[in-house]
Amino acid sequence: MPLGNLASLSHFLPELAVTATILLLVVAHVVGGNRQSAVPAILSLAGVGAALLLTALQASVPAKSLFEGMVALDGFAVFFKALTALATIVVVFLSMESEELAGRSQAEYYIFLLSVLLGMFLLSASTDIVMLYLSLELVSIPSYLLAGYLKGGGRSTEAATKYVVFGATASGVMIYGFSLLYGMTGSTHLGEIGRALAQGEATTPMFLAAVMVAVGFGYKIAAVPFHMWSPDVYEGAPTPITAFLSVGPKAAGFAVLVRFFYTVFATPDAASGAWVLSPGVDWTALFAVLSAVTMSVGNLIAVKQDNVKRLLAYSSIAHAGYMLMGFVLLSPAGIKAILFYLVVYLFMNLGAFYVVILVANRTRSEEIADYSGLGSRAPFAAVSLAIFLFALTGIPPFSGFIGKVYLFAEVINKGVYWLAVVAALNSVVSLYYYARIIKVMFLEDPKDKSEIAVPAFPRAVLCLLAIPTLVLGVYWEPVIRMAENSVKMIAF
Amino acid sequence: MTGPADIIFYLLAAMTVGAAILVAILPNIVYSAIALLFSFAGVAGLYVYLSADFLAATQVLIYVGGILILILFAVFLSNRISDVKISNPSRFHWQAAFICLGLFGILSYTAVSTAFPVKAVLSYQPTTSEIGELLMTRYLLPFEVASVLLLAALIGAAMLSRPDGGRGRPAEMEEPKR
Repeated sequence: MPLGNLASLSHFLPELAVTATILLLVVAHVVGGNRQSAVPAILSLAGVGAALLLTALQASVPAKSLFEGMVALDGFAVFFKALTALATIVVVFLSMESEELAGRSQAEYYIFLLSVLLGMFLLSASTDIVMLYLSLELVSIPSYLLAGYLKGGGRSTEAATKYVVFGATASGVMIYGFSLLYGMTGSTHLGEIGRALAQGEATTPMFLAAVMVAVGFGYKIAAVPFHMWSPDVYEGAPTPITAFLSVGPKAAGFAVLVRFFYTVFATPDAASGAWVLSPGVDWTALFAVLSAVTMSVGNLIAVKQDNVKRLLAYSSIAHAGYMLMGFVLLSPAGIKAILFYLVVYLFMNLGAFYVVILVANRTRSEEIADYSGLGSRAPFAAVSLAIFLFALTGIPPFSGFIGKVYLFAEVINKGVYWLAVVAALNSVVSLYYYARIIKVMFLEDPKDKSEIAVPAFPRAVLCLLAIPTLVLGVYWEPVIRMAENSVKMIAF
Repeated sequence: MTGPADIIFYLLAAMTVGAAILVAILPNIVYSAIALLFSFAGVAGLYVYLSADFLAATQVLIYVGGILILILFAVFLSNRISDVKISNPSRFHWQAAFICLGLFGILSYTAVSTAFPVKAVLSYQPTTSEIGELLMTRYLLPFEVASVLLLAALIGAAMLSRPDGGRGRPAEMEEPKR
């Protein structure tokens, strides 16, 4: 039985902490003088840190359905709450260093950031269509504002506008899919819809609903063909936000994708522990193709890019493609592989963006050509970036390799060989463009020989991101066990 | 079995859809906005037929009364609205029409061919108290989360309309570019 509203509050502390921080930030904004102040950033760090701790305390709590069945408190939700809170903390560090954001109103920026975080918390836990849609919008709308935060900059405005238009269209299509589901089953609760669909037989509207809902979620994770917005948004948005969008909302998108499809269009099979497809909707074939197309398009277009931010945008599309491989397998091991990959991806991707910010602070450029000789101008940053890029490629002994091993192993285990071959070919392509940056950094002579100083604090943060990227490549046991324990979804 | 109620229903549906088509194809954006008014009003009428009295009233108050007026204001405040090229530059792309017609075919086929579970008898009872109760019980969490969303949107609107110097002065109007 779902808990009532009052009884649920004590299991809702991380979300309450984030909400309270948002309100405190509003007060800090009203008090004023926050353009130069670090108060909003520190306040957000404290708030999100508290939320992360409170989430960690929930890890051992038995799974519950909260707020009359609106959200679930289960291992899966706790995992994603911890992941997105961690990503947000790193992004706050990134934002404090970024010169793009210096001198702009600070409190508002963090209000939007934390609103997105609250949305991601709820999105990964939603078990009701109403709640799900609302939290999706809570992720989207502040994201639009963050993408356009560099007001007056043409690219930032373009990014925000494109984001809004694509987002509204995807939402509209998704809502239509929801309405079909509601029309067929008469319920907004994911578990009830799933049960109703499992008893019925295959129908056209069911498949149509699955496709339409996939449009909405595909947009959030930037899967091809719903990826059109992402290169422009990633290039135009302030770099910390680009980093944030490529990790946080993408992870939340995966959370809701997995929870929705595994509850509504598949039924858990108690005997084998895996899932069985609901009759008629063979969405796994659909997503297997989508996965192959997504990684191929992302990687092939990334090859031609000359702007680092744009390159990382296409590479993040490709990574969504890799992760989709685990989604189509209907097995706990597949989901475990996605969860593990998301953790690894968080460190390596945010790390890469952090170096981009540090370099852009000095050179005011994100062109690959301006990275020439970075190895001698800023050795520390260049070596860190090389680590992150090698990890993104998936070369041993870096953590990205282990992440890919788990995904590949499960695909091969299930006998989907063609997908494994496509993914392997893609990894080769990705090596080319990641290695190109490394080549420019270390083998080309700098145009400008002046040193780029990296202060002590960014150095420390870079270390904190690089160490997990390296360590998870050789000792990943605790994280994979955590991921394994988190593949527990409930739907009452 | 066509009574007067059915005839009015079909008139309302025709008004909703017809006005929506006009919104898309009219050359001048002001005309589009006015056509949107009829589409919204038609939807309100359809809600009445579904015995959703509260939704019908909300539709009139918020969409017809609020959002549409805002759209009109936004249109009137922008430059060169009567210029057709600016108003609706993306009219009549045959590729788009082709895709839309295909989608229309699929969606309408699904809507007609599916046996949706339908309520046998529709009783026209007031729904407001029930909605109020649900908002305070089952849907309390979405209700509260919506307030956070609105807060963020409100602050965002303030941020966007403020000039970069940022002391709360109204945004300066840009001169129209010729």
